[in-house]
Amino acid sequence: MSLTSKEAAESLAQAEQARRRSAELYHYSRAAPHFILWGGIQVVGYCGTYLFPYHSNWLWAGLILAGCIGGFIIGKRCPDREARPQAWRRFAVMIIAVAFVLGTYAVMWPVHGTQPAVFPVLLEGAVFCAIGLWVGLRYVVTGAVVFAAALAAYFTIHDAGILLLMAAVGGGSMILAGFWFRTV
Amino acid sequence: MEQPDAIIHQPVRLKIMAALKPLPASDPIEFVRLKALVNATEGNLGAHITTLEEAGYVNVEKDFVAKRPRTRIGLTKQGRRAYEDYLDFLRAIIGAGEAP
Repeated sequence: MSLTSKEAAESLAQAEQARRRSAELYHYSRAAPHFILWGGIQVVGYCGTYLFPYHSNWLWAGLILAGCIGGFIIGKRCPDREARPQAWRRFAVMIIAVAFVLGTYAVMWPVHGTQPAVFPVLLEGAVFCAIGLWVGLRYVVTGAVVFAAALAAYFTIHDAGILLLMAAVGGGSMILAGFWFRTV
Repeated sequence: MEQPDAIIHQPVRLKIMAALKPLPASDPIEFVRLKALVNATEGNLGAHITTLEEAGYVNVEKDFVAKRPRTRIGLTKQGRRAYEDYLDFLRAIIGAGEAP
């Protein structure tokens, strides 16, 4: 049994392609429950803000805390035992994201009510696009759709209705992406 | 390695080994996902997995989830080593072909 260098190179390329695709799909499958969790939290948060605008701060604080704890629990239950000790990092990432959004509002205080509704979703879209550059196309597609839809909503809707649209764009798209990420 | 590992030296089995390589040992892949990943039919994939299992390269775990049967496949330590050796063998051929 002998191989030419061309055949060996082809075999190596096929193996590398299969390895890369498997690693990418594995990453998606591990991220999927987090997407569904945070998508659900956004849907509840934006719809709750629309219905009870005077209680939105407490509502979001409770939802974000629930999301951080939920993400930590999902991470701890990850079938990959080696990844379990890293579960706290997801908790920390959300704290950093919330701190960034609040810090941005402190420096550039929103002058219109639609701005704080759209900004976190825009940030979400941009971050997904950036992650996708390393992980895979599905992140880029999800991020680009979320970013474009949020921006389009900001320039077309100027009342509280934007909250319901952000529930669909930010939360709904994350839930859909979560189910998409579970597929091969 | 003078000769390629005859078990891995088959396109579908090479793809199976490559697809299993990046997965953690504690998190084997489900048969249906692996089938889609390597783009093989159920019978074909089953036969190749049996060959790899007999060689000690993969673990096959069968259980039930919500009363539905589930088959999961993972790479063994021996399989991981054999796959690395096979890749080294391929690289050595490519290196020898490029040498002046």
